[in-house]
Amino acid sequence: MTTYIIRRLLLMIPTLLGMTFMLFAVVRFAPGLTTAGGQYSAGVMQSRQAQKQEQEIMERRLHLVDKNGRPISLPMQYILWLKSTCEGHLGTSIVYQEPVLTLIEQRLPVTLTINAIAMAVIYLVSIPGGLLTALYQGRLLDRGYGFMSLALYSLPVIWVGSTLLGFLANPQYFNWFPSAGLHATNTENMTYFRYLGDYFYHIVLPIVCLVYSGFAFLSKQIRGSILENLQQDYVRTARAKGLPKSTVLLRHVFRNSLLNLITLTGMSLPGLLSGSVIVEQIFSINGMGRLAYSSTLASDLPVIQDLALIMGVLTLLSYLAVDICYHIADPRVTYD
Amino acid sequence: MTDLTLSPMDQPLPAAPRSYWGWVGVRLFRPLLVRLCTAYLVLLVLLALFVPLLANGRPYTCIIPAVAGRAAQREYPLFRDLNSEDWILLVVAAGLAAQGISILAAHRLPRRQRMVRQRMSLMLLTAVVLVISSLIAVLHHNRLDATNYHRLARHGIITQAIFPPVPWGYAEMEPLGKNLINQLPSRRHWLGTDGDGRDELSRLLWGARIAMGVGFVSQIIALALGIIVGALTGYFGGVFDIIGMRLVEIVEAVPLLYLILIFVAIYGRHILDIMVIIGVTGWTGYARLLRAEFLRIRNLDYVLAARGAGMPLWRVLFKHMLPNGVTPVLVSAGFGLAGAVTIEASLSYLGVGVQPPTASWGAMLNAAGNPATVFRWWQALGPGLLIFLTVLAFNLIAESLRDAIDPTTMGRS
Repeated sequence: MTTYIIRRLLLMIPTLLGMTFMLFAVVRFAPGLTTAGGQYSAGVMQSRQAQKQEQEIMERRLHLVDKNGRPISLPMQYILWLKSTCEGHLGTSIVYQEPVLTLIEQRLPVTLTINAIAMAVIYLVSIPGGLLTALYQGRLLDRGYGFMSLALYSLPVIWVGSTLLGFLANPQYFNWFPSAGLHATNTENMTYFRYLGDYFYHIVLPIVCLVYSGFAFLSKQIRGSILENLQQDYVRTARAKGLPKSTVLLRHVFRNSLLNLITLTGMSLPGLLSGSVIVEQIFSINGMGRLAYSSTLASDLPVIQDLALIMGVLTLLSYLAVDICYHIADPRVTYD
Repeated sequence: MTDLTLSPMDQPLPAAPRSYWGWVGVRLFRPLLVRLCTAYLVLLVLLALFVPLLANGRPYTCIIPAVAGRAAQREYPLFRDLNSEDWILLVVAAGLAAQGISILAAHRLPRRQRMVRQRMSLMLLTAVVLVISSLIAVLHHNRLDATNYHRLARHGIITQAIFPPVPWGYAEMEPLGKNLINQLPSRRHWLGTDGDGRDELSRLLWGARIAMGVGFVSQIIALALGIIVGALTGYFGGVFDIIGMRLVEIVEAVPLLYLILIFVAIYGRHILDIMVIIGVTGWTGYARLLRAEFLRIRNLDYVLAARGAGMPLWRVLFKHMLPNGVTPVLVSAGFGLAGAVTIEASLSYLGVGVQPPTASWGAMLNAAGNPATVFRWWQALGPGLLIFLTVLAFNLIAESLRDAIDPTTMGRS
């Protein structure tokens, strides 16, 4: 197992190099890069001099010019950027004039809590759903649930989101829910439980949008693995030795089927962190997705680059973690 | 009912031997729902190809009165003003129709002759379509005709005008100041007008072109990339495999929408850009699936035989191995098409997709109003429903294709 982990970690190096190279190339060959700095100096009118200075700082930060103002060649730019990134010096946002890490620190908890709640809801529905549809395979319940979850999966979130917001958070129709943000404006006067209640009140609609499309995939996977397990020899053995059906199902089949969940959960971890661009945009939630979207619109290149890079690293790590967890949960699985 | 013209010898055997694909087709199209979905998608494709003839502000034909010494004459404004992409799509449609006819015509021939005939006609038609399209692209000049034919017709200046069924172009605005924006459905505009006084129905129909175009072209690009990478990595293994899988990981590790947003923000929002961007970010799943299939197939006897017979590599890969490993990829492509339609709509909704005044369903949803203040749900209903139905149709077909090729249910057909 150790050799496997080491091999995987070594294989990650070329992937990471390739990813940094792709991000570097994509951003560096963008038209109009050198003029991107300076325009967004917090909306303040500046003298030519100050603008020029800021431009120079920008260019130095992006490793376009060295300390003396001489241009740096492209390969050197890449190496310098790589070096400073490896040392942990992530970029600084052009728009916010803040380090990318600070921005992520502000926004990651927001995205993470919402997505964790959404994921919990998805699991709470999908696991029983998958179990029931597997038990009633081919019957009306199975087909109905399958079709319904596929239909939900096909519903475009841009339509559902804007319609929910338009009807349920709109003085024009029903003003039941708040239309934007995560908190009321007067949070400092609230008791803890009021605060929590306010938070949940605000996230109802976004959670609905995040949740409904997730049932199809997960239930289908669980159903599949339960059906597969039901045909295994150990099920027949368990039945043959006289165990009741329900025990076989819940004790043996269900637990074995849950092994697959490790993979699925691991695969969805990066999505948990990167957030949903569309939902966050519709409901004006300042999370990671919205950060990525707004900085792409503003050509805030350092933010885009570093966000994508961090997400990439986390994704690769979570894939590795999945494999290790799977081995721990099911010692039959070896990778050597 | 029995067909009396058939002699007993000619009647099909009770269990007619079918090719694998024929069998998959029969199993796939058995459920009514799948047939309905296919019909709907075919309709959308036809709409995408022929929409300029269906929803257009210019009459097919009318009589222009005598002006300044020129005699009154019959003109064809709609056809005169089609731009080059419209003509190219019409030529493509004609080519597809011709291929369909040739397939039908060769239906009764023996298999070998039929294959030869079909391949010949396919090559010939592709060549003809390509030549004519490039000629159109080079020689055709797009016209910008701002004439308001409705007004001319109303005032009796042009006569005998025949308008298309939906007599509005996708970018044609009602004149300002007449309070004709954001109208409810009326006889003049069957689904009302949007915030710029443009006909909603016409824009919905034109939106099919964007959705279908982006969906199919992007997935063709993705399939091509995925099949090449997957085939090479799966067949050769070793260094190819390591490099190929690293490529897959590189693209897969970055969240899809982040990657697409980066590309879109930097490299442009023309519809062709969007197609290419969705394509080059969406091939990894296909490569993975095909790699797994090729790893399984490459040591089977028939592949060894083909290699032993000295066939060229591409022939072994794409003629012998690909048809036997492509089915899971096709299932995935169905879901991929649905995904591409969704992504295009989402990008347009966020304002980074195809640019106005091009009609895209996502952009129309966005134009239905800021949901929290003014929300004109009737404007959101059409595009939302169409996206939903299109995505659902692709997903349903993909899922029943998966069931149709599933070996565990094979015996039950």
